[in-house]
Amino acid sequence: MSKQTALSGKEQRKVLFRLIRYLVPHKKAVVIALLLLILTVTGDVIGPYLIKVFLDDHVAALNFDTNPIIFLAVSYMIIQILNVIISYLQLVKFQEIALNVVQQIRIDVFSKIHRLGMRYFDSTPAGSIVSRATNDTEAIKDLFVSVLIAYVQAAFLITGVYFAMFLLNPMLALFALVLLPIIFLVIFLYRKFSSVVYMTMREKLSQLNAKLSETLSGMNIVQVFRQEDRFNEEFNEINDQHFQAMMNNTRLNAVLLRPVIDLVYFIAIILILTFFGITSFSTAVEVGMIYAFITYVSRFFDPINQVMERLAFYQQAIVAASRVFELLDDPEIEPSQIESKAEIKEGRIEFNNVTFSYDGKTDVLKNISFTVNPGETVALVGHTGSGKSSIINLLMRFYEFEQGDIIIDGKSIKSYSKKELRKKLGLVLQDSFLFYGTIESNIRLFDGSLTDNAVVDAAKFVQADQFIEKLPNKYKQKVTERGSTFSSGQRQLIAFARTVAANPKILILDEATAAIDTETEVAIQQSLEKMRKGRTTIAIAHRLSTIQDAEQILVLHQGEIVERGTHQQLLEQKGLYHKMYLLQNGIVEENVAK
Amino acid sequence: MNVFFKLGWFFKERKKQYIVGLLALMLVAILQLIPPKVIGYTIDEIGLGTLTTNSLLMWVGIILLSSLLIYGLRYFWRLMIFGSSNYMAMTLRKKLFLHFSKMSPSFYQQRRIGDLMAHATNDVSAVQQTAGGGVLTLFDSITTGTFVILAMAITIDWRLTLIALIPMPLVAISSTYYGKLLHERFHIAQSAFSDLNDKTQESITGIKVIKTFGQQNEDIDDFKRLSSEVVSKNMKVARVDSLFDPTISLIIGISFFLSLGFGAKFIVEGSMTIGDLVAFNTYLGLLVWPMLAFGMLFNIMERGSASYDRIESILSIPVEIEDKPNAINERPDGNLIFNVNKFTFPGDERPSLKNVNFELNRGETLGIVGKTGSGKTAILKLLLREFEGYEGEIIFGGRRIDDYRKMRLLESIGYVPQDHFLFSSSVYNNIAFTNPDADVNQVEYAARLAHIHEDILRFTDGYKTVVGERGVSLSGGQKQRISIARALLSNPELLILDDSLSAVDAKTEEAILEALKEERSDKTTIITSHRLSAIQHAHIIIVMHEGSIVEKGTHEELMELKGRYFEMYNLQQLEQLVEKGGEVK
Repeated sequence: MSKQTALSGKEQRKVLFRLIRYLVPHKKAVVIALLLLILTVTGDVIGPYLIKVFLDDHVAALNFDTNPIIFLAVSYMIIQILNVIISYLQLVKFQEIALNVVQQIRIDVFSKIHRLGMRYFDSTPAGSIVSRATNDTEAIKDLFVSVLIAYVQAAFLITGVYFAMFLLNPMLALFALVLLPIIFLVIFLYRKFSSVVYMTMREKLSQLNAKLSETLSGMNIVQVFRQEDRFNEEFNEINDQHFQAMMNNTRLNAVLLRPVIDLVYFIAIILILTFFGITSFSTAVEVGMIYAFITYVSRFFDPINQVMERLAFYQQAIVAASRVFELLDDPEIEPSQIESKAEIKEGRIEFNNVTFSYDGKTDVLKNISFTVNPGETVALVGHTGSGKSSIINLLMRFYEFEQGDIIIDGKSIKSYSKKELRKKLGLVLQDSFLFYGTIESNIRLFDGSLTDNAVVDAAKFVQADQFIEKLPNKYKQKVTERGSTFSSGQRQLIAFARTVAANPKILILDEATAAIDTETEVAIQQSLEKMRKGRTTIAIAHRLSTIQDAEQILVLHQGEIVERGTHQQLLEQKGLYHKMYLLQNGIVEENVAK
Repeated sequence: MNVFFKLGWFFKERKKQYIVGLLALMLVAILQLIPPKVIGYTIDEIGLGTLTTNSLLMWVGIILLSSLLIYGLRYFWRLMIFGSSNYMAMTLRKKLFLHFSKMSPSFYQQRRIGDLMAHATNDVSAVQQTAGGGVLTLFDSITTGTFVILAMAITIDWRLTLIALIPMPLVAISSTYYGKLLHERFHIAQSAFSDLNDKTQESITGIKVIKTFGQQNEDIDDFKRLSSEVVSKNMKVARVDSLFDPTISLIIGISFFLSLGFGAKFIVEGSMTIGDLVAFNTYLGLLVWPMLAFGMLFNIMERGSASYDRIESILSIPVEIEDKPNAINERPDGNLIFNVNKFTFPGDERPSLKNVNFELNRGETLGIVGKTGSGKTAILKLLLREFEGYEGEIIFGGRRIDDYRKMRLLESIGYVPQDHFLFSSSVYNNIAFTNPDADVNQVEYAARLAHIHEDILRFTDGYKTVVGERGVSLSGGQKQRISIARALLSNPELLILDDSLSAVDAKTEEAILEALKEERSDKTTIITSHRLSAIQHAHIIIVMHEGSIVEKGTHEELMELKGRYFEMYNLQQLEQLVEKGGEVK
């Protein structure tokens, strides 16, 4: 059993208690809900008692005084109606609490995601992070809504029913207590077996789905290599196993779920009849009393059925919750900043002997040192994996570095507040990411202080207005699924406008390598030039114009700066830069091969 | 009801189980009538003081016996009916999978895998519910309902039955109404949830942009807004959901009230006993479930029907490329003649191939170069018969390729795709893909040819190492070489390498090409590549541009031409030099 479930009983309880702690901020609501629940249970318990009184004092005794009967009838109906209203309120209240708790957990998870460092995103597939915030929290919601609430309601009702039975006939109530261990035994057995049977079924289902999804993705290979028959066989084998697992589950449910609870119910009836039967041999027995007991007993089997049906679900939800907590406790936090009032005014950047490694083993940057004066441009050139992107990653504080320092305006980058850095450092990514929304919302992002005019101005500045004005809805044009309706050049211009609108002091460019449609090419070129004016710029450059205009070019190779200087200086060196330059321009000299 | 007819074929197939199961269900419905009646008798005897030890034992014995029988029969019908619905799910999945495996690439181009998965999971379970819970509910609510009402009317009092039943239809009506409302609101809540899902997805993919602009807090606020939306939509569900129980218990309460009031009147008149009244009320309790179920039935059927229609519509898509009626059952070999005047991918406007003609003798190697979208892959897809409907003909071993049975044609071809897809299984199984029974020598031989043998030996479990999501992560080059070994295993007449050496370094590439040249001197090979070094040695090289052949000849001839090929070649030489230039430093 322990093999099937990854969590031990103790761990499960720990997770449960941590979940329950989320109720603390809602304690007032919880108290109200519990009070309503007590009222509901009271109503449930009083109803049968009134009928008992009616049967014994009036029907059996043939006493038909109108007043007490009307009193009974009216109170019965009033209690019924009140009960309906109160139990409705109670059910809604509990769900409200559960939903609020889950919302809080969701927000915690999402906030935590934003505090995680890039390292976490490198090592965790995006899909599984999304699952933590949504599917797993949804499982917690179901845990609260359909499991925990049902448990609490069942516990209260059973207590209420026993309370009433003790008031009516302590002796029989005592006998009826025998039912509890039987019920607990059934629950225990069901839990024990279902945790295996149900988990196996889930596991087989996920194997089945994995097989299906893998085959669908690789169908081309399967077909080209004529393996359709074999894959059908393999799938059917898992399908069969899943079927067997479902059958085991059906069997288990048939043995230990509703049917057995009903059997226990009949045993309870037998118990009651025998008790009153034997009592009737010595003393007279009130018929209404029997009726009341039978009704009471039948009342509490319904919630027990509900509880049992949801048992299998409980474990799954707990596992989901433990995954959520794992993410909440993850120590891989983004680099921290000192909250200071220091401001970046000039935009001078210095790298001092920065050495950096992603995995703590291989250094991707080795002793990098360079200085960029305010307003100047540095172009980073080199092959994939040479360390260009790592420099930008450090400058953007996506990753923490240990050796060396990055100095901005004379102060360590670590001593500026996060807000200041984000305001003054503007990054334009190679792959321009657009959010779902409109063009306007993509330029503005969440900056509410930006006027509509400022948005238009930013777009004009980067010449994005030319294509935006042609769209049917202009700035209100919808952007769907990462902007797939726009060309990559258009997307880039929107991303430029976004950066211009934020007006950073330091511009960090990761130029796109991919060929861009000729229509936007000119606009992009000109915009890049304009954007660099008056800003300190560090660029991963692919464009000749950016490189040529740079005050300084750094050629990186395997984490080191191997050449540096201006375009002319480097060309004269006839080194790596020279060759790359030729390559970039497709200028082929007959004799390069030598 | 419609859906039950649609599923008729299945009920016929499982006739025995359904008939036996439903009979058991009916027996339960009858046996259920016994205990309330017995309770009534016992109470009457207690009330009159006529109860004896023997009669008590008898009554209790009857209840015990009938409840045990009920237990056994319930187990049995669940096994029959729910078992059949499990079987239904299995059958449908099997059918879907078989159908999926027959669908052509154009089918997969038009659909998302997620949607196809949904048919095999959500839709199948909705139909499963109809075949299990749906059938049960329909039958049980009718039989139990009828028997209980009959028992009340015949054995107790028909007048009281009529009176007590007055509010009962409200149960069915309200449960239908609430069920419908619930379903609608649930849908809305689901779509709010999927908005939240999309939002999270977007934030995580765009995490760098958000960090760059320092908009974490604003993004969290946006998330809060969306998650509040989820809460409020779910509260709407909760408000309907919470109505269920109270409403039902109110209606039942009224019914009880009526039966008690009028029952008391009949007792006083002498036409009923108190025991009758208790029995009557217990019967009334038995009616709640059928009424409730009847209401839910409509919703189950509606969903099952919609899902079944979706599954049917997938299953009814015809298989696109089928063998001709008298296709030859022979493995093609020999020369290859490719004469395609025009080919357009379904759904495209512009043709992907225009006047592409080449001949390839057995044992020769053809190199195809060109930019992405120039038509290289289209040539290969036609050779593999993944698409048809081109103008012209492709001749392999003296006959058109569509004259052969497709299976036999493919047997002659070893294909290494661009996107090296491996299955999450062992390296061994991935290489022995066409022949799971291949012996170690064969597999190792293919691995050696593909220059992956040494790499594999270095893996933790050697050939048994599991690859894919759950296994070791391989480099692109390693995956490519395993794919090559997979294609080489069957020693195919025609080997197709679709840009399959792109992630392999220059030295290894050379070694693989050399090995192929030696081993496959009497077999035909087609190589497409961005990198010219991979096709330089080919007997014929064609340069593709916008769907047409713009240059054709040997490496030497093409270099003489000083055209596209020449330019590409020089550029790549330079590129290599830069790579090496870096190493020198």
